[in-house]
Amino acid sequence: MTSIEIQALTKEYGTRRAVDDLTCTVLPGRVTGFLGPNGAGKSTTMRLVLGLDRPTSGTATVGGRAYVTLNEPLRQVGALLDAQAAHGSRTGRDHLRVLAASNRIPDRRVDEVLQETGLSSVARRRVKTYSLGMRQRLGIAGALLGDPEVVMLDEPSNGLDPEGIIWIRGLLRRLAEEGRTVLVSSHLMNETASFADHLVVLGRGRLLADTPMREFIHARVEPRVRVRTPDATALRTALARHGHDAVQHEDGHWIVRHARVDDIGRLASEAGVPLLELAAEEGTLEQAYLDLTAGETEFTAQPQEA
Amino acid sequence: MAFTPVLHAEWLKIRTLRSLPGALLALFAVTTAFAALAGADGSSDPDFDPLFSSFFGVLPGQIAAVSFGAMAVSSEYHGGALRLTLAAVPQRGRWFAAKMTAIAVPALLVGLVTALAALAVARAGLGSAANGLTTAQQVRGVVGCGVYLMLMALFAAGLTAVLRSGVATLSVLIPFILVVSFVVGDAVGTVADYLPDKAGQIVLHQTYEGTLGPWSGLAVTALWTAAALLTGLWSVRRRDA
Repeated sequence: MTSIEIQALTKEYGTRRAVDDLTCTVLPGRVTGFLGPNGAGKSTTMRLVLGLDRPTSGTATVGGRAYVTLNEPLRQVGALLDAQAAHGSRTGRDHLRVLAASNRIPDRRVDEVLQETGLSSVARRRVKTYSLGMRQRLGIAGALLGDPEVVMLDEPSNGLDPEGIIWIRGLLRRLAEEGRTVLVSSHLMNETASFADHLVVLGRGRLLADTPMREFIHARVEPRVRVRTPDATALRTALARHGHDAVQHEDGHWIVRHARVDDIGRLASEAGVPLLELAAEEGTLEQAYLDLTAGETEFTAQPQEA
Repeated sequence: MAFTPVLHAEWLKIRTLRSLPGALLALFAVTTAFAALAGADGSSDPDFDPLFSSFFGVLPGQIAAVSFGAMAVSSEYHGGALRLTLAAVPQRGRWFAAKMTAIAVPALLVGLVTALAALAVARAGLGSAANGLTTAQQVRGVVGCGVYLMLMALFAAGLTAVLRSGVATLSVLIPFILVVSFVVGDAVGTVADYLPDKAGQIVLHQTYEGTLGPWSGLAVTALWTAAALLTGLWSVRRRDA
């Protein structure tokens, strides 16, 4: 099993720190979502792992080895960095044949990944006739070419149609279940929430979080309960007696913050308040993420105020 | 990583882009077409050089060779193609050597075939005017022409790796080739003799004057090419992709 190990990694462009003392390990057997606003350093980190950019300090290794020392690296690490990397005048199949040839991967495998990514019917068309979604699929096909243990995809859902987005979700889950290391960057929260088990969040090049996704959400989003009742006054009185505060939503239901369904259900029953609906409101990744990055903004603004 | 698979991949890249074999075809077509014109012209000028008349088409034809070298490298500098290439072959020096070999070999072969064809076409047109040419001169002209075209393609390829743009390379080299050849022209005995194209073209002449001979002239071009390639290699190895 192969992990991506990132140790005190820093990359400066002039005076700007794109990646700032980043340490984390991306483990096999799960999908790690790589989150952060544009310019947070996600793509730079991926380029540093692939040995394309030279770090200012620190190291990035795959399975304990620097990428540039790997022999036939496509067989160990597959990456999608930029869907525009394929030359427009080459056919999709030729594009993959070139990549395959450099790592002694047989052409048979080229046809397999074309099949897997749904490009077989357009394989002999030139890449410039492809839609953005088809180019993404071609880039993913290139990443899968060497049947690698580690898969790194930068914004793979860009330009994919809804069917493509469902397909990639299934693909990422399958790759993780096969025990591979899967790192997927995105700035789309709902999309990431649908496939990731674990999160690494960057802000201004620094590590903001490295936790399982469920934990990340639970730690950051307050538990809320959604209640509907025909007797609002009785509900509010009963809640107030137990120190809860209810806010009415414009749809007519009430939201009780910092509460759990068990407690609200019990106290409503004891007070004899009729309930039409009682449900826990699941926190979303988006809420958790916004909470985290709001904190980051506050934190970074402090020195200026002092 | 072994060199052969990397070379195979680079060769596939050239074969699968229509514009690159197209440039080599243009090199052949333009050079031989000019040779046919020169042959039909058959001059009685006392300075008449039957060998250079045969190879006169190299002057415009080399633009195709230069474009071939520049485009083969510049395709790596579009839309992150180089990142994909270097992710597959992280040993940058080995990749650069494979790329240059994949440019040099077809340029040399097409250059030799072109030179043979140009000489044959021109001799057919010149008739007795070309009788003064010795076999040694003709062999020297053909081999020199092939090597010269290969060196010019590699010179452009190296320069493209430095400038990271085919457009930039061609907008430097094409005016340079045209200006040196047609404006500086026949001025012999100046620094112009040591310019990469001018020095290498001595090998295409039956007679020559000045300090450089056919092979030393070609060696000067080779030095220019080596300088461009080394700077290109340095740039590829050192910069972030």
